[in-house]
Amino acid sequence: MSHKSIKWLPAVVVPAVIAVGVIAVPLQAGAAVDLPDKTAQQVLLMVSDSTVTAFSGTVEKTANLSLPAIDLGAEMSGQAGKQGASGSGDAASGALSSVLELLSGLHTARVYVDGSAADGSVTDGSTDGPAKVRVQIQDRMAERNIVSNGSDAWLYDSETDTAAHLAIPAGAAASMKDKMAALDAEAPADVSTPSQLADRFLSEIDPSTVVTVGTDGRVTGRTVYELVLTPKATDTLVESVSISVDSETGMPLQVSVRAAGQKDPAFQVGFSSVDYGAPSADLFDFTPPAGATVKELALPQTPANHAAPDVAAPDTARPEVPTEGLPVVTGTGWDAIVEIPAASVPPELGDNPLMSEVATKVDGGRLLSTSLVNVFLADDGRFFAGSVPVDQLQAAASAQ
Amino acid sequence: MSSSSAPRSAGWDLLGSELTVLFRRRRTWAMLVAIALIPILLAVAVRLSSETLAPGEGPPFLDRVTQNGLFVAFTAMIVAIPLFLPLTIGVVAGDTIAGEAGLGTLRYLLVAPAGRVRLLLVKYAGVAMFCLVATLTLAVAGTLIGAALFPVGPVTLLSGDTIGVADSLLRSALIALYVTVSLLGFAAIGLFISTLTDVPVGAMAATVVVSVLAQILDVLPQLAWLHPWLFSHYWLGFADLLRQPMDLSSFGDNALLQAGYIAVFGALAYSRFATKDILS
Repeated sequence: MSHKSIKWLPAVVVPAVIAVGVIAVPLQAGAAVDLPDKTAQQVLLMVSDSTVTAFSGTVEKTANLSLPAIDLGAEMSGQAGKQGASGSGDAASGALSSVLELLSGLHTARVYVDGSAADGSVTDGSTDGPAKVRVQIQDRMAERNIVSNGSDAWLYDSETDTAAHLAIPAGAAASMKDKMAALDAEAPADVSTPSQLADRFLSEIDPSTVVTVGTDGRVTGRTVYELVLTPKATDTLVESVSISVDSETGMPLQVSVRAAGQKDPAFQVGFSSVDYGAPSADLFDFTPPAGATVKELALPQTPANHAAPDVAAPDTARPEVPTEGLPVVTGTGWDAIVEIPAASVPPELGDNPLMSEVATKVDGGRLLSTSLVNVFLADDGRFFAGSVPVDQLQAAASAQ
Repeated sequence: MSSSSAPRSAGWDLLGSELTVLFRRRRTWAMLVAIALIPILLAVAVRLSSETLAPGEGPPFLDRVTQNGLFVAFTAMIVAIPLFLPLTIGVVAGDTIAGEAGLGTLRYLLVAPAGRVRLLLVKYAGVAMFCLVATLTLAVAGTLIGAALFPVGPVTLLSGDTIGVADSLLRSALIALYVTVSLLGFAAIGLFISTLTDVPVGAMAATVVVSVLAQILDVLPQLAWLHPWLFSHYWLGFADLLRQPMDLSSFGDNALLQAGYIAVFGALAYSRFATKDILS
């Protein structure tokens, strides 16, 4: 009898050991970290003094915005099929579903950045610098690639097998640098060093925001300082924004935005693995595969103060916004409200089936509600958006 | 020397005879032929059809097949993983112990001392070998029929980069390996279920039901927290091998997950089988 019960031991012990391991390993990774104390100003300085010019890693984005659940997959693939015959309605809802897709769920991307050729200016992921960048957004059985090697930018979508190419004029990077130099020259004398810049940044945001250094922690195994920005305004939906800064390299590794009354971060982007070695150079040489549909994109005619092409969002079908209908911002800081006049709102957006699927009817219009941002589409066609409760948006709409 | 080497060589003999019996069975051959028919039917259907698919239409990569026959193997793998491979593995794994019990041969296999553990290990090794042979059959048949019916050339990866034919064959082999590894946990579940009954058909059916159930749970968004723990979660994760550079992180996660399933269900199978009254 006891002989038999001994033989049942493995069936109990093995699952128990695995369960303990599953619980203990993340706990160990999250074990308390104690770094030398630093002030917010010192952490900011670390970021600006960071010498990281090249890195690669995996970035994970989780959004927990309590958006209404919609089947974006179906919408997206439907859009992809129709995009060729791009009517403006299609384009508008395509853009809308891209935005909604970005704001929902989990996405993983691999990021490769090499800015070492470009005298050490860090561009941490944004593609408007001279650095070589490759971003691979991993989808199920598909991948979207953004490659920029300084002279050419490519977008490739494996699902539709389409590529878009944008030639970056040779002068773009240089003129960018000139502009930065010019800006530096124009800047007030008290921001000539990074430390003064950090001071100035802190004093500028002081009226609206409390900046503190939170608890030290770990992101992807590296020890980090946590810079926490807490709004002073009480009526905003944002509870706090925290930025985790690598304690050794000064590179921001994770940004989380917390919404009031929600336990999990509403929006979080961070590395799940990072490597500070220079990525292989041939990653940045992209040739569209044979058979792919290649579309040439024209560099948008930008005003003089905006020389860099926005390759991250080459929305060629973006409707022209009339200059008289520019968005109006009321309030400053966290509880600001943006109003887009009816004239500037593309009419397709309001009639978009996707919009009616995610928006709910409220007094005086329709509401797209998330835990961080509320968007109110008034019956007269105006758009109001802000990180504030709905009634404030409605009040702003009825005030005018 | 004789005391330690004799049981070991007996174990290898047992494994040899198990593999011989498994791969001499007509049923095993029929299943392998059926697996090989998946890419063949797929390629022939694409060849005979006159309409060209738009990118993204149909199963992944199907639209690429006409330009490059090497994609047949990838598409066939995607098509076979959700049902067909688990079905054949369910048949083999469900039959392991229950089949012997049903035939009344289990008693004779257990005459040696400490025979039950060894028999379980040998049976599991047989199922694992079948997993490997099945996925390799799929990959080889897909590559051959693709090369026979369509032009073969450099393969475009998901990242848009292009690799040569040799590199692509290497990745096909790696994919077969990835899929084999991702099926090992499921095979262990089948082995455990097989120790529960003397009716092989019941064990086979139950094993296949478990795989379907896991895949249903894997698509329910309400159970997102559970998904990384399901043995079927990485079944289509081999797409990571078609990225440039290869993304091996999901392979590692998958191997760890499958090892966990093998440990848990191996232990359950041992406890159940070691305490079982063998009457037949």
